[in-house]
Amino acid sequence: MGCLLLDGCRPYYAPKPTTTGDSYRPVYAAYSDIRTIQALGPQPLKNAGKIYVKDNYLYINEAGSGIHIYDNRNPEKPVQVSFISILGNQELAIKDSILYADNVTDLVALNIANPLNVRLVKRIENAFDYSAYPLATNVRFECADPAKGVVIRWEKADLENPQCYR
Amino acid sequence: MKISLLFLSLIGLLTACANSDSVSPGAGVGGSTARFTISGNTLYTVSNTALQAYDISESGNPKKGTNTKLGFGVETIFPYRNNLFIGTQTGMYIYDITQSNAPKQVGLYTHILSCDPVVAQGNYAYVTLRTGTNCRNQSITANTLDVIDISTVSSPKLLKSYQMTNPRGLGADSSLLFVGEGDYGLRVMDISNPLDVKELNYFANTKTYDVIPTQKRLIVTGPTGIYQYSYADFNQLKLLSQIPVQP
Repeated sequence: MGCLLLDGCRPYYAPKPTTTGDSYRPVYAAYSDIRTIQALGPQPLKNAGKIYVKDNYLYINEAGSGIHIYDNRNPEKPVQVSFISILGNQELAIKDSILYADNVTDLVALNIANPLNVRLVKRIENAFDYSAYPLATNVRFECADPAKGVVIRWEKADLENPQCYR
Repeated sequence: MKISLLFLSLIGLLTACANSDSVSPGAGVGGSTARFTISGNTLYTVSNTALQAYDISESGNPKKGTNTKLGFGVETIFPYRNNLFIGTQTGMYIYDITQSNAPKQVGLYTHILSCDPVVAQGNYAYVTLRTGTNCRNQSITANTLDVIDISTVSSPKLLKSYQMTNPRGLGADSSLLFVGEGDYGLRVMDISNPLDVKELNYFANTKTYDVIPTQKRLIVTGPTGIYQYSYADFNQLKLLSQIPVQP
């Protein structure tokens, strides 16, 4: 039912759309967890997303969950320094020692001068929309249900009969 | 010895300048599929339908600026000189950002129909178009690298289209253009003559989604991890290291 209220969702009995055959499922996080940002020790790279290069560091987005920081002074041997846990994160950009990132619906500015001790310096709430659908179009997906939490990313999945499409 | 050191530092300087048109002081470099970018003292983010500016003259204190509505399905943003190139499902928009907090649409190139990454160099924009993406009209059947003349940003013109396999992200460094072909590898193109872009090399086994060329090093993202190559000798990409994706 929640699906019907969200932009981009249509009930399955609507005229059958052309789809690419891909279907997606939302990955949720609890509302209470989304604003906890912290630097953790190195974490395994699983769903590599966007990358960013600044000075001697290489930043690799872990789709939906944060940013791996690598010391890349020696490109023949990048050293994993830390992982900044930022739920919902997909994008990043850096100026001086401030990293800008999307944190679900918020934009956060983090001081990363010390990658082991990252500090939140500013949060701009509601900079982005609640992710009600995957970015891809002509696809079917399991409708996002805000009662289940916030969508931090969309993953491809084999679904029986996903009820939303766009 | 002194002469060769001088020569080396000259090369270094030239290299540092190669991307200067799209790099802002104090900011880093992202890939061609980015949706955040920094130009001067402004951070631009694109959502599905809008371009949002943030004033970051004080980097630790970003301030929300203008929100500019765009066509549907905004996918990528690329800053170049005083312009932003924004790939959307309705075309490639060109915005003038001379007044950073008041982006002004100056051009629209409509042959591009979706999540097509764009990079620009000299008077040309390079765009990849591919089939099988989830964000385009399924009737599109071209897999091409399009070279667009942007010498007059108000009227971008297709200069030439080159056949590719399934191109995705791309990156330019002076006369070189690196084109990620997804599962089909990586191409290194010579773009010194945009009317006659030549393939210098094709690495079929280097599965590539997006690239960042920087300081004669190419950082590649692909399905199996992040790879760094040296292209000091661009006939022979030399693998420097890899960061594999954990299963």
